[in-house]
Amino acid sequence: MSEDRREMFRQLADYSHVGMTFVFSIVIGFGIGWFLDNKAFDGKTTPYLTFIFFGLGIAAGFKNLWELTKKISDGKK
Amino acid sequence: MEHPILFISIILEMLGLPVPHTITGHGLLEQLCTPYMTYTWLVMAFLIVVPKLTMGKLEMVPGSGQNFWEVTVGGLMDFFTENLGEDGAKMLFPMMATFFFYIILANMIGLIPGFMSPTSNLNITLGMTIIVWITHHVLGFKTHGLSYYKHFMGPSKALAPFMFILEIISNFARLISLSMRLFGNIFAKEVLLAVLFMLAGAFFAPLPILCLGVLVSVIQAVVFVLLAVLYCAGSLEHAH
Repeated sequence: MSEDRREMFRQLADYSHVGMTFVFSIVIGFGIGWFLDNKAFDGKTTPYLTFIFFGLGIAAGFKNLWELTKKISDGKK
Repeated sequence: MEHPILFISIILEMLGLPVPHTITGHGLLEQLCTPYMTYTWLVMAFLIVVPKLTMGKLEMVPGSGQNFWEVTVGGLMDFFTENLGEDGAKMLFPMMATFFFYIILANMIGLIPGFMSPTSNLNITLGMTIIVWITHHVLGFKTHGLSYYKHFMGPSKALAPFMFILEIISNFARLISLSMRLFGNIFAKEVLLAVLFMLAGAFFAPLPILCLGVLVSVIQAVVFVLLAVLYCAGSLEHAH
């Protein structure tokens, strides 16, 4: 494989990955919160843990984005 | 939707084995006879038999068969060495190269009428992804010992518990997005081909999608292996 093509595949992997990871982070965060609320604590804490973990999921999604931007800007130097 | 004709399923039905008409089927024997299992075995048999036939005995002056395998395996090895270093590449080469050959063949086989891509089933892709996921964490613990946990703690001490939860979430997101991407792309290709064959197969309507299918197959195989390698490289290097 030539250098250009290798670079292309790497970018393809990064960029096609980041969108899905963002979405699934949010979904998984929400899922963990929902599970803790409804199954682990039997609905005693109902809306709160879901919201907290939903927020954490969004934060995790943004952390992935941030790491990707950092990786790209490091590579450009 | 019209059911695609899968020749292995037809042969199995002729032999009197129960081939399920749902996606997974009930009971062990039915589950073993589902199309994605039988086609996985076909791909596995192909990958065992064909290199044996084309390579034969290794020779000093390679023939065309041996040449092909030398180029592919050499190229893959270079690619892994670049990302993982010499030792890591040697350690992970059997697994990653197997994934590459298996995925690219499993993707491509669905382009031929009468075959289906085993990777168009979430069970197969999720299985492979779980293997990669567990491997890269085991690898991390093996190289760093217990201090591998620092990978999950982020740069600053104050934010460590917060970062830990974020890392756990994004690790699971990795697991799902890696499997869902391969599954989604290949499943879309399969369904699109089936629909176009059904609607306008006589007018060569699936032809452009077949060309795109080759592209998608190669790209998804490379991207899957590339991401698996990058995860392993990430768990091998030191924490920030």
